[in-house]
Amino acid sequence: MENNFFGEETAVILGMGEHRVGKCPMGTIGLGSCIALILRDRRKSLAGLAHIMLPESRGNTDRPGKFADTALSVLLEEMGRFGSTKLSITAIVVGGASMFEYSASSLNIGERNAAAVKDLLSDHGIRIEYEEIGGKVGRSVYYWPEKKGRLIVKRADGTCSAF
Amino acid sequence: MELDPIQMDALAEFGNIGAAHAATTLSQMLMSPIEMTVPKVQAVDIARLHQYISNEISAVVVFQIQGEVADGGYIVVSMPRETVIQLTNQMLGTTDTDREINEMDQSAAIEIGNIMISAFLDATAELLGIVMLPSPPALAIDMAHAAFESVIAQMAGDVNDVLIFNTELTSQAPPVYGDIYLLPNAELMQQLFQMLERLMEPLP
Repeated sequence: MENNFFGEETAVILGMGEHRVGKCPMGTIGLGSCIALILRDRRKSLAGLAHIMLPESRGNTDRPGKFADTALSVLLEEMGRFGSTKLSITAIVVGGASMFEYSASSLNIGERNAAAVKDLLSDHGIRIEYEEIGGKVGRSVYYWPEKKGRLIVKRADGTCSAF
Repeated sequence: MELDPIQMDALAEFGNIGAAHAATTLSQMLMSPIEMTVPKVQAVDIARLHQYISNEISAVVVFQIQGEVADGGYIVVSMPRETVIQLTNQMLGTTDTDREINEMDQSAAIEIGNIMISAFLDATAELLGIVMLPSPPALAIDMAHAAFESVIAQMAGDVNDVLIFNTELTSQAPPVYGDIYLLPNAELMQQLFQMLERLMEPLP
């Protein structure tokens, strides 16, 4: 798992609740119930990534990347500053797994996260280009905004996909 | 969450007693000596959790702390995949270490977690003179960080850091390695400190 075949070590790793907009490679490691929401504007080789932890902000604003609703707003706003519009942006949604067997439902926040993110994207009319949500497997996600953009998802079971 | 050094010490000592009992039960199960590191207590920012919790494929057994305390704290046993296989082999008398995790390993991980955490909470609760019980265990066999996310999501909705007590348990033969994490939420923390302070008052 720790190889560097795709050059992912150059990526900026975003922890839970963080977000970033830019042209540099970005990634999240060990995504479980959280969601990696990637918005990308391929014409500008620009992307935004948020590591979303919970579906609703309920008034918390200090870490916008932490909640689905505030994360989408802040990514759109920051990408807007680079001149991206909703029409030029598409989305990639990865994560939202249910990690625990034999578990009280409270630990399976993943499904609610995924549903919230998808609802918000459709409210904003943003097309989901690729999604890989649910299941019970942890994932690491890397995205390179350069050129047309490149996505790699590594799963805990050792499988890997690139786009 | 800001903690003064005395609170840090109190929590480390509290966890130390629990972890020592958990280590003893593990040692009895394996019939081999278990070493334990000096416990660490730190407030970890959720955005930095990935530097603190590894990405290694592990069996993560999660318990919620229940009983005569505020709900919502968690206690977690995390063991790398190789350790779980070693433990199952040890208990069943098998030797094949080069295999995938199977159902037997999963129930072994849950059982070992259950026994260790029950010992941990029994010892600490006795110290405080209250009842603390683990909830039924929840198991994930996956990247440790991915499993922790679900726990952190329950705790850090309104705060951006969590308090983590951590100690490592190791044994040479069989080569096993595991971690115990205690993640008290704010209310449980408060309650623990009040009780610990009462314990430290001089006798009349």
